[in-house]
Amino acid sequence: MNKKVLKFILNGKTVEVSVSPSDTLLDVLRDQLYLTGTKKGCGKGECGACTVILNGQAVNSCIIPAMKASGQRVETIEGVGSKDNLHPLQETFADMGAVQCGFCTPGMIMSSKALLDQNDNPTKEQIKEAISGNLCRCTGYVKIEEAVQGAAEIIRKQNNG
Amino acid sequence: MKELNAIGKSVRKLDVLDKVTGEGTFTADLHIPGMLYAKVLRCPYPHARIKKIDISRAERLPGVKAVSCHHNTTKVKFNCSALMTFTVPPHQPVLDEYLFGEVLRYVGDEVAAVAAESEDIAAEALKLIDVEYEILPAVFDPLEAMEPEAPVLHEENPAGKNIVGGKVQIPIGDIAQGFEDSEVIVEKTYKVPVQKHAQIEPHAAVAQVSAGGRVTVWSPTQNPHPTRHIIAHLFELPLSKVRVLNPPYVGGAFGGRIGFSGKAEGIAVDLAYKTDRPIKIVYERDEDFVGSVTRHSGYVTIKIGAKKDGTFHALQVETVLNKGAYANYIDPVGVLGGMALGVYRAPYQYFDGWSVYTNTSPAGAMRGFGNPQGAFALECTVDMMAEKLGMDPKELRLKNIIKPGDPWCLPYPCQSTGLAECMNSGAERIGWKNRGKLNTGEGSVRRGIGMAVGTHVSNSWPFCGDYSNVYVAVQQDGSLYVASGVPDFGTGIKTSLAQVAAEALGVDFSQVYVTVGDTECTPYDTGSHASRSLYCVGGAILEAVEKIKSKIFEYAAEVLETNAEALKLKNGIISTGDGSKHLSLKEAAYSAHLQGLQFVEVGRSAKVNAPPWQAHFAEVEVDTETGEVKVIKLVAAHDVGRAIHPGIVEGQIEGSIIQGIGYALSEEICYNEKGKQIQTDFANYMMLTAEDIPEIETIIIETLDPTGPFGAKGVGEPAMVPVAPAILNAVHDAIGIRFNEIPLKAEMVYAALNNSK
Repeated sequence: MNKKVLKFILNGKTVEVSVSPSDTLLDVLRDQLYLTGTKKGCGKGECGACTVILNGQAVNSCIIPAMKASGQRVETIEGVGSKDNLHPLQETFADMGAVQCGFCTPGMIMSSKALLDQNDNPTKEQIKEAISGNLCRCTGYVKIEEAVQGAAEIIRKQNNG
Repeated sequence: MKELNAIGKSVRKLDVLDKVTGEGTFTADLHIPGMLYAKVLRCPYPHARIKKIDISRAERLPGVKAVSCHHNTTKVKFNCSALMTFTVPPHQPVLDEYLFGEVLRYVGDEVAAVAAESEDIAAEALKLIDVEYEILPAVFDPLEAMEPEAPVLHEENPAGKNIVGGKVQIPIGDIAQGFEDSEVIVEKTYKVPVQKHAQIEPHAAVAQVSAGGRVTVWSPTQNPHPTRHIIAHLFELPLSKVRVLNPPYVGGAFGGRIGFSGKAEGIAVDLAYKTDRPIKIVYERDEDFVGSVTRHSGYVTIKIGAKKDGTFHALQVETVLNKGAYANYIDPVGVLGGMALGVYRAPYQYFDGWSVYTNTSPAGAMRGFGNPQGAFALECTVDMMAEKLGMDPKELRLKNIIKPGDPWCLPYPCQSTGLAECMNSGAERIGWKNRGKLNTGEGSVRRGIGMAVGTHVSNSWPFCGDYSNVYVAVQQDGSLYVASGVPDFGTGIKTSLAQVAAEALGVDFSQVYVTVGDTECTPYDTGSHASRSLYCVGGAILEAVEKIKSKIFEYAAEVLETNAEALKLKNGIISTGDGSKHLSLKEAAYSAHLQGLQFVEVGRSAKVNAPPWQAHFAEVEVDTETGEVKVIKLVAAHDVGRAIHPGIVEGQIEGSIIQGIGYALSEEICYNEKGKQIQTDFANYMMLTAEDIPEIETIIIETLDPTGPFGAKGVGEPAMVPVAPAILNAVHDAIGIRFNEIPLKAEMVYAALNNSK
C-alpha cells in the first residue's frame, strides 16, 4: 500500500495522518480523524454536504484529493463555535428554522461562513450564490437565507463593537 | 380562549444544537469495533434470470469476509415497505420480492452483496462475481405492460395482466346518468413523471447480531416498529429478538424509507449473520437514485360534468400508474382516488384505478402519496371547466368545495374546513384580481397567475393499520419523559410532541424530554408517514396525560387533604382553585416515589382522521423566446387545524413547495430503451437550488379540528399537492396554452408556442 504522510492545519491545530493516493479530504476527515460532522451526500461534488473551508474558500471535500490539503488550512464544522459559545450562524440556524433533518446543515454553515468571513453585509443574491452549491431537500432554503442574513447582522454588530 | 403556554410558539427545537455543531450522529457516522463494509452488485438488465452465479473468486479476495446471493440467502418472500406489516383484511399484502432474487426485474435490482474490511475491497470484490444471465423481454410503460404481447413480470395477477393487487373502484351513484344530466362536460388525460425523494442522506444501515442472537439495526427508516417486523419476517425471528433504531438522526425521508431504506437493513442483517461482525452499508448516490422507490408515474384522466350555473354534477377520475418492478406500496392508487373525490361536492362520482408492473425501479410512497398526481389532473381540469363556463376559477371552486356535513367518499366525517378562507386570503395576497391583466403585450416575457386547491389526510386510518402507543412517565424529580416509536427525520416532531405534553400536563416545555425512534424502549407505533406523527402521537400523549393527571390529583388530594376534583396542575404546581393548598409536581413525584408509586401511563391514538386543506396561488413568468417558465411568487394558504410550532409548520410548507415546483417544472426520472435510468445524480436530476426559489408567502389558518391534539391536523404532505396545477394554471393565464404533462420543460412550452403560431 503506497501510503503518504499528510500534514495540515485542521481547525487551527496541526494534524498528521497517513493517506492512500486515492483518499479524498472527506475520507481523511470522516474515516481517519473521526470528524463525522462533514457529510457525504453524493461523492461527486454535486450536493455540498461535504463542504469545508480550505484556505478561506468553501470547497467540496469529497472531490479534493487528500494530499492537496498538505500544509493548508482546513476548517470543518467541528471548528466552528462550541456548545457554550456558538458562532452566530449556529445561533441563527438553530433559532430561525434553518435546520430540519440537519444533514445539509454543516455544509450549509461552512459555505455561509466562508461568505461572511469575507463579507459581513451580503446582499440576498450574494447569499443565494454562496449556498447555491449546497442542496437542501427539507427547508426549501427560505429560512436558511433568513438565518444567514440574521447571522450577518450579528457579526456586523460584533465587528462594529 | 384558554391561554396557552407551550403551544403556538416557535421554540428552539430540541435537536438543533446537535445538528449545527455537527455532533449529531446519522447512520453512516456510526463506527463499531470490528465493523465490515458492504457493497451491492446490481443487475445491468431490465429483466433477466440468473442462469449461473459464481461468488468463489470474490470470496477469495483478501479482506472479503462474506458474499451473499440467492443461493445462500433467505428464501422468504417479502415486501420492502412497511405496508406488508399492516395491510388490513380483506386486502392481502403483496409479497413479491426476495432479498436477492433469481429473477431480476429492473436495471439496479440486487444480485449479490459483499462484506469486506473496507469499502474499496468490497467494491473490488463485486467485479469478481461471475454472473450468467438469461435475458428476458422487458416492458417500461404501464399501458404497454397490459397488452397481450407484453412479458409477465410476476406470476399472480388476478385483476389482469401485470396489474398489481386489485383494481380500486369508488362508485357513487350511476356515473353515466350523472354525465347525461350534466349540461357542460370537460375531459382530459394527464401524464405525470417519476419523481425521486433525493433526500440528502443516502440510504444506509448498520446491523449487528450479538452472540445471543439479538439483532440490532441502526437505520434511517421512517418506521422502526414495522421495519423490525419486516426483519423478523425475513429472517424468521421472534420480534423480541430484533431491535431497530434511528442513530438518532435521519437525513430526510419524504416517504422513501417507509420500511426498508432501499434494501439496506435486510442486506446488512444478512451479512452480519454470515460474518458475525457488525456490517455497515451506505448507498452511493446513484444507487440511491436507482435502487430505492420512486413516486408513481402514469396517467390520470379527469371528466367533470356540471350544470350551466357551475354546480358540479358528475366527477370521474381514472388512473393507470406505473408500479415498476415490485409492489412495495400499492396504496397511492386508492389515495389518488379518495383525495381527488374528497375536494368537491358532486352527487355522481366514480374512481377506477390500478397500477401495473413494469421493468423500472419500484414505485412506492412519496410525499403526497398519489394526491399530487390526482390533484394536478383535477385542478387543471377544474380551470378548463371554469373557462368553458365563463366563470372565475376561484368562484367556481368556492361554489363546489365540500363543507362539513356534505356526503363524501371517505369513511370518516369532515369536521373542519378552512378552505374558503384559504382561497380568499391567498387570492388577496397574490393579487388575484390582476389575472389576465398582467401583460402589456411588449417584450418576450408573459406573466400569469393561477391557483389550485387540495386536501389530504392526518394519518392512514382506516386504509391500513395505523396506530400509536406512547409511553409517558413523570420522573422522580417532576420532569416528564415521553417515549414514542416515531422517528424525527427533520419534521421536528420531537419538539412538537414535547410542546403538546407540556401544555397538556401543565409543566414548562423545558421539563419535558422526548425519546423517539427506538423499538427497544417504545410501545408499537406505526411510524412517521401519511402526515400522521403529530396528529396521532399527540393524541396518544393527551390520552396518557389525562390518565396521569387523575392519578396525580388522586395522590395529591390525600397529601393536601382535599378533593381530587378541586385540583389543577399549572406551571408545575398542583393547587386548589383559590391557591390555598398547593404542592409542586416535583415534591409530589418524589414523595410518591418514596411510597412506591410512579405516575406512568401508556396513551393510545384514537381511530380518527381529519382533512387538512390548502390553496396555492402562483405567479409565473413565461419567456416566449425560450419557453422557460419561472415561478416569481407562490402564496400558500393552509388550514392546518392548529400550528403547534408555527416555524415547523412554515418549514414543512416551504420545503414541500420547492419539491412541488421541481415536480412541476424540472424533476423527472426517465429510462432509456434498455431500461437504464438516465438521471442518477444531482447533476442531471434537476432539483431547485437556493438560486431557483421564488418568493414564498405562507398563510396559516387554524380551524381547530375536534379530533386533533389542540385542534392540529397533518402538515407534512399537504403543500406538495396544489403546486403543480397552480403553476400550470398560471402558465395558461400567461400564454393561453394548457399543458397536460409535467415536468413542464422549456422545450415543451417553446414547441407549443410555435405550433400555435
